Amino acid sequence: MSRRTNLFVLALLSATPAGAHPEIQDALERLTTALAATPNEASLYLERGELYARHDDWPAAEANYLRAAELAPRLPRLALARGSLALARGQVSAARVLLDYAIALAPSDPTALILRARALARLGLTPDALTDYTQAFALLATPSPELYLERAALFASPADALRSLADAFVRLGPVISLQLRALDLEVALRRFDDALTRVDLLTSASERRELWLKRRGDILVSAGRHAEARAAYVEAQTAIAALPAWLVTSPDTVRLSIELTRLATTTP
Amino acid sequence: MPPYHHLRYIVAVTIALCAIFSLPAATTVIRGPYLQSATPTSMVVRWRTDNTEPSIVRYGLTRTELTTTVKAEGITTEHFVHLSNLKPNTRYYYTMGAEPVAKPAAAGTKKAGAAPAAAEAEDGPGKAPTSSFVTPPESGSSQPTRVWVLGDPGTKGDTQRAVRDQYYKFTDKRATDLWLLLGDNAYPDGTDTDYQKAIFEMYPETLRTVPVWSCLGNHDGKSANSITQSGVYYNAFTFPTRGEAGGVASGTEAYYSFDYANTHFIALDSHDSDRSLDGAMMTWLKADLAATKRDWIVAFFHHPTYTKGTHDSDKDSDSAGRMNDMRQNFLPVLEAGGVDLILTGHSHVYERSFLLDGHYGKSTTFNAATMVKQKGEVRADGVVVYRKPRARTAHFGDINVVTGSAGHAGSKTKPPALNHPAFYISLNEAGSSVLDIDGLHLTLTFLNDKGEQRDRFTIIKE
Repeated sequence: MSRRTNLFVLALLSATPAGAHPEIQDALERLTTALAATPNEASLYLERGELYARHDDWPAAEANYLRAAELAPRLPRLALARGSLALARGQVSAARVLLDYAIALAPSDPTALILRARALARLGLTPDALTDYTQAFALLATPSPELYLERAALFASPADALRSLADAFVRLGPVISLQLRALDLEVALRRFDDALTRVDLLTSASERRELWLKRRGDILVSAGRHAEARAAYVEAQTAIAALPAWLVTSPDTVRLSIELTRLATTTP
Repeated sequence: MPPYHHLRYIVAVTIALCAIFSLPAATTVIRGPYLQSATPTSMVVRWRTDNTEPSIVRYGLTRTELTTTVKAEGITTEHFVHLSNLKPNTRYYYTMGAEPVAKPAAAGTKKAGAAPAAAEAEDGPGKAPTSSFVTPPESGSSQPTRVWVLGDPGTKGDTQRAVRDQYYKFTDKRATDLWLLLGDNAYPDGTDTDYQKAIFEMYPETLRTVPVWSCLGNHDGKSANSITQSGVYYNAFTFPTRGEAGGVASGTEAYYSFDYANTHFIALDSHDSDRSLDGAMMTWLKADLAATKRDWIVAFFHHPTYTKGTHDSDKDSDSAGRMNDMRQNFLPVLEAGGVDLILTGHSHVYERSFLLDGHYGKSTTFNAATMVKQKGEVRADGVVVYRKPRARTAHFGDINVVTGSAGHAGSKTKPPALNHPAFYISLNEAGSSVLDIDGLHLTLTFLNDKGEQRDRFTIIKE
C-alpha cells in the first residue's frame, strides 16, 4: 500500500458516521478490535466497508473496500459491494466494470445482475440492461414490483412496456402499482377495452367501488363513449350511497360525490 | 457353514437393515410453531424441524378432536401449512406432524415468562403437543382487540425478558389477539441464529397462539433484501402480498396491509424499499388507504417520523435520511388518508405526540398553534383523551408513537435529548406498548420493564 493510500485509509478508517447509532458504534468497535488482532483479514475490511456504506459514509466505505481488495481481490461479495457503492456515488462506468467482475465470479447472483442492469440503463445500454433484468427475474422466487416497474420504464414503446408487465401479473398477482402502470399504458395506447377490463377487475376486488367506477368513467370519456361514461359516474354515486353512513359523510367522499354529480351532468 | 446358511444370513441381515431404515427418523421441533397471515378464514402455521419430514397439521374445534388434517407437498425442515375454510372468531386446536417430538420450551419461558392468557394450561412444547389459536373476526366487525406492540426487541438480554414478562403479567388472562414487531427484531445482524434466540426462543408461547406481524428494521436488513425478497427476515415470515388479509395487493412482503375486526393495519418498509413519491410503495399506500372501510387506520414502520431519542430526526445523515423520507414523503399521504395512529421504533425510547397534523419539517419548523390539533384532555384517571369524528377526515390529526425500547432503552449515563416539541411525553425507558381497540375507542398504554403504566391515551371517534 502506498504511503498516500495509507494516510487516506488511516484517516477514513477511524471515521464514524455522523449521528452514529450506539449499535453502529458497537459494530465498528467490534470490527476495529478484530482488525487490530488480525490486520490482514480482508473480510473484516469488507464488513466494515458495508457498515459504512449502509450509513452512506461513502469515503470510509471505499477506503475499507480498497484495503480489502489489496488483501484479497477475489474475496466473495467484494466486487459486488464496490460496484454497489460506485453506483450509489454516480460512478456508473466504474460500477459497470466492478459488477462485470462480480457477475464473472458469481453468475447466478440476482443482486449483482440487478445492479448491473441499473448501471447499464444509466449508460444508455438498454438492451443489455433488459437482458440482466430478465436473467435476474428468472433467478428470483418473487421479484419485487419495483423491479418490474424499473424494467418497464426502459422500453421506449408503451406496447413493449405493457408486454413486459404480463409476467409480473402471473407471478405476483394483481399488484396495484403494476395494475395502475398497465392501465396508464393501455390508455396511452388507446386500448380502451383492455383498460376497461382491467378497471372492472379492480372494481370487483375493491370495497370502495366508487373510486374505480369514476376511473371507468374517465377512461370512457377519453374513448369518446360519453353515454357510457355518464352511466359509470351515476353508478359510482350509487356505490357511494351503499357505503356506511359515516363514510358517506366523510369529506373526501362528499367531495367525490360532488365531482361525480358535475361529471354526470356536464359530460356531453 | 452350508451354503443355504449363507443365504439365510444374507436374507436376515437385509430384513434387519430394511427395518432400521424404514423407521421414521425422530424429528425435533426446533422453531415454532408460529402463526402467520391470519385472516378470518385462514391461518398459516409454520415451524422448523431438525430433520426433514412431511408438513402436516391436524386441527379441530376441541383439543381431543383434531379431525382435519392438512398436508403440504414434499418433505422439508421448514414447514409451512396453510389452513383454509376456517370459521371467523373461532378457537382451533392444532398439532404439527403425524407424531411430532417437541423440544422442551426455552429456558425461562415456562416460568415468569409464560404467557398466561395466550396459552391454555395444557398447551405447549414439553408438555403437550397441542396448541390453539383464535381466527380473527369478520373484517369490519367490532370486538375488543388487544395488540402487543414491540419495537426493537431483539437484544436477547435481560431487558427484553423483563419487558416480555411485564406484558404477560399485565395482560394476564386477557388474551392477546395479535402482535406487531416494529423491526430490529433480532440483533445484531438479523441472522437466522439471531432470530432463533431473539424471537423464536424468547416468545415461544405467544408465537404458537397469536399471529405475529412485522415490518423490516435496519438490523433485520443486514441479512435481508427487500428488492429480491430474500434473506432471513423474508424466509422467517409469511405476510400477505395479494390482499388476502384485507388490504390491497402489494406484491411484496416488504409492505402490506391487513384487517383485524374494525381496524386496518398498514406495514411499510422504511428501510429497504423505494421511499420516493412515485415509487411502488407510495402508489400502493395511496390505493390501500383509499380502499379501506375500517373505522381505524394504524400504520407501522421502523424509522420514526420524529424522534429525539437514540436517533435524531433533525439530522439528515442519521439513518441515511430514512426518517426524513418517512416524514416528508409518507406522513403527508398517511395524514391525507385519515390515519389515526403511527407506530414506529428504531429510537430506543418511548415518545408520544399530541394529536398532530402537517408537521413535515425539522423540529425547528414545528408550530404548535397550527400543527397540534388537540393537546388532549386529561381525565381523572390520568388517561389523555383525544376526539375525532367517525367520518374519515383527511388531516384531522394522528398520534405518532415511537416505541422502540422493547429490547433496551437509551444510555442512562449519556441520556438522549428527548426534546422534540411534537411529543406530549418522552421517556428513556425500556418497555412495550399495548393497543386496545374496542369499537370507536382506541387506547394505547406504554408499559415499562418494571410493570409501570407510564403513558396512556385514548382516541374516541364520535
